[in-house]
Amino acid sequence: MTTETTSTRRLRVHRFKRGDDAPHVEEFDVPMGEDATVLEALRWIQLHGDPSLGLRHSCFHASCGTCGVRVNGRERLACVTKLADFSGTITVDPIANLPVLLDVVVDMATFFAHYPDPHPIVRESGFLPEAAVADDLDGHERYEDCIECGLCLSACPVAATDDSYVGPAALAYAQRLLEEPRDGVDRNALLDWADQDAGAWRCHAAFECTEACPSDVRPAQRIMSLRKELRHRRSEQGRKVPEQAAGEEAT
Amino acid sequence: MSETRAPFDRERDAGVEEILRGRRQPAPVSRKLPGPIAWFDLRSRNTGHLAFSLNRVTGLGLVAYLYLHLAVLSQLLGGEDAWNDFLEVATTPLFLGLDVLLVFGLLAHGLNGTRVALVGSGFVPNRQKALFWSLMAFGAIVLVYSALHIFGGEA
Amino acid sequence: MVATAPERSTRSRSWRWTAFTGVSLLALVTIHMVAHHFVVEEIGGLRTYQHVLDYISTPIIFVIEGVFLVVVTVHAMLGLRSVLFDFGLSERWRRRLELGLVTLGIVTVVYGFILIGVLASRA
Repeated sequence: MTTETTSTRRLRVHRFKRGDDAPHVEEFDVPMGEDATVLEALRWIQLHGDPSLGLRHSCFHASCGTCGVRVNGRERLACVTKLADFSGTITVDPIANLPVLLDVVVDMATFFAHYPDPHPIVRESGFLPEAAVADDLDGHERYEDCIECGLCLSACPVAATDDSYVGPAALAYAQRLLEEPRDGVDRNALLDWADQDAGAWRCHAAFECTEACPSDVRPAQRIMSLRKELRHRRSEQGRKVPEQAAGEEAT
Repeated sequence: MSETRAPFDRERDAGVEEILRGRRQPAPVSRKLPGPIAWFDLRSRNTGHLAFSLNRVTGLGLVAYLYLHLAVLSQLLGGEDAWNDFLEVATTPLFLGLDVLLVFGLLAHGLNGTRVALVGSGFVPNRQKALFWSLMAFGAIVLVYSALHIFGGEA
Repeated sequence: MVATAPERSTRSRSWRWTAFTGVSLLALVTIHMVAHHFVVEEIGGLRTYQHVLDYISTPIIFVIEGVFLVVVTVHAMLGLRSVLFDFGLSERWRRRLELGLVTLGIVTVVYGFILIGVLASRA
């Protein structure tokens, strides 16, 4: 039988309920084992401290993206962030740049509202004969790493002041759709969507989204790839115009 | 068989009514810091945010300098005496120090801008941190050389 | 939510011009700073009145400094536009801002050319 060392950690948690004049902070002393996570500490507070504490979580293993919070100012998934990684009092806030519904729970509908519309939410996924990895490849790259946790939008300095900016997740999603060789994607419509003032050109290359991403999506790099696509399209359109003119002359 | 719950009862369900009233309030957006202050908050941030903040500060500073510079150069319109009066002030250690600050701003903005242009065009996006620090190291060398020259009077 | 784009994308134009003027300024600023801080054997490399007149009246220098003035003003206005747009302005305010910055840029360039023109004529 193993005995886990227990220590008491102090958490400062953002508290807010709609109708409150302003948010406030509450401190809780939480007895936790050395491998305990921020989510476990928050759950302890719910069970033994204040049952009105609102938080969102699901899978407990960084797969669903629902437990995103800011821990000591940095975007993290609470379920895999260990208390032992921090010294002293640990501050837990909701992720930034999204409306706060309750305590550390934000309105993800706003996050998803930035996504290109219409976009294929559910797509037919067929078995491809090419699915077997060829000899000269290490493996296939997984495109659907994004767990839509919103940490990238929270970390983005542009989103801090401009709520109209579609954000790194939506742009990375658009780039993935362009990159995937599947049917049902209107490339021009998607590029039109990205090619707006609040789209791909709003990014200032801070790369905070890539740093915050817990799932190796690398949204900043995808935004730069999206810009490349937009430039290629522009140069293609530039070449098409004289050809169209020649076509008109011939008729 | 479970009992059917009675319809909403104002006295019994006062707490529920309060919650429902709260839900009709608009949800305030969570911000790290108000407005543009967040652009310059480097706590818990990484290299990219440092680069972004530096570019923004130096960019705004250089825009202000552009107009200050034009105003200063307008002294030349006043003739040789007016310009010499300015040179007396401009060659004091404080102003030479401001010149070094100008060089710092130009180097930081120009070199980081090079990174933004390269990365934003799709070149080496996975090396942007290394690119930033390499360029800043080069800039530091140039800055030191410039400062020695500006204060020393000759190369 | 899908934006309707013109046949040729104009939304990337400001980013491209910012990058282009920025790269151009790497050379132009270097020339300008070297000329005004590293050439003359005075304190800080600063030119005297006559040095300035002799410098600006040289035709090739006049052209280079004129190009520098235009490029730096364009870059500055585009940079200001980018920073101010980050405040999430409405479409109406964006148009007003762009008009204001174009006006400011034109005034800046015109004044700059008047300045160097007058100085060049005095040499």
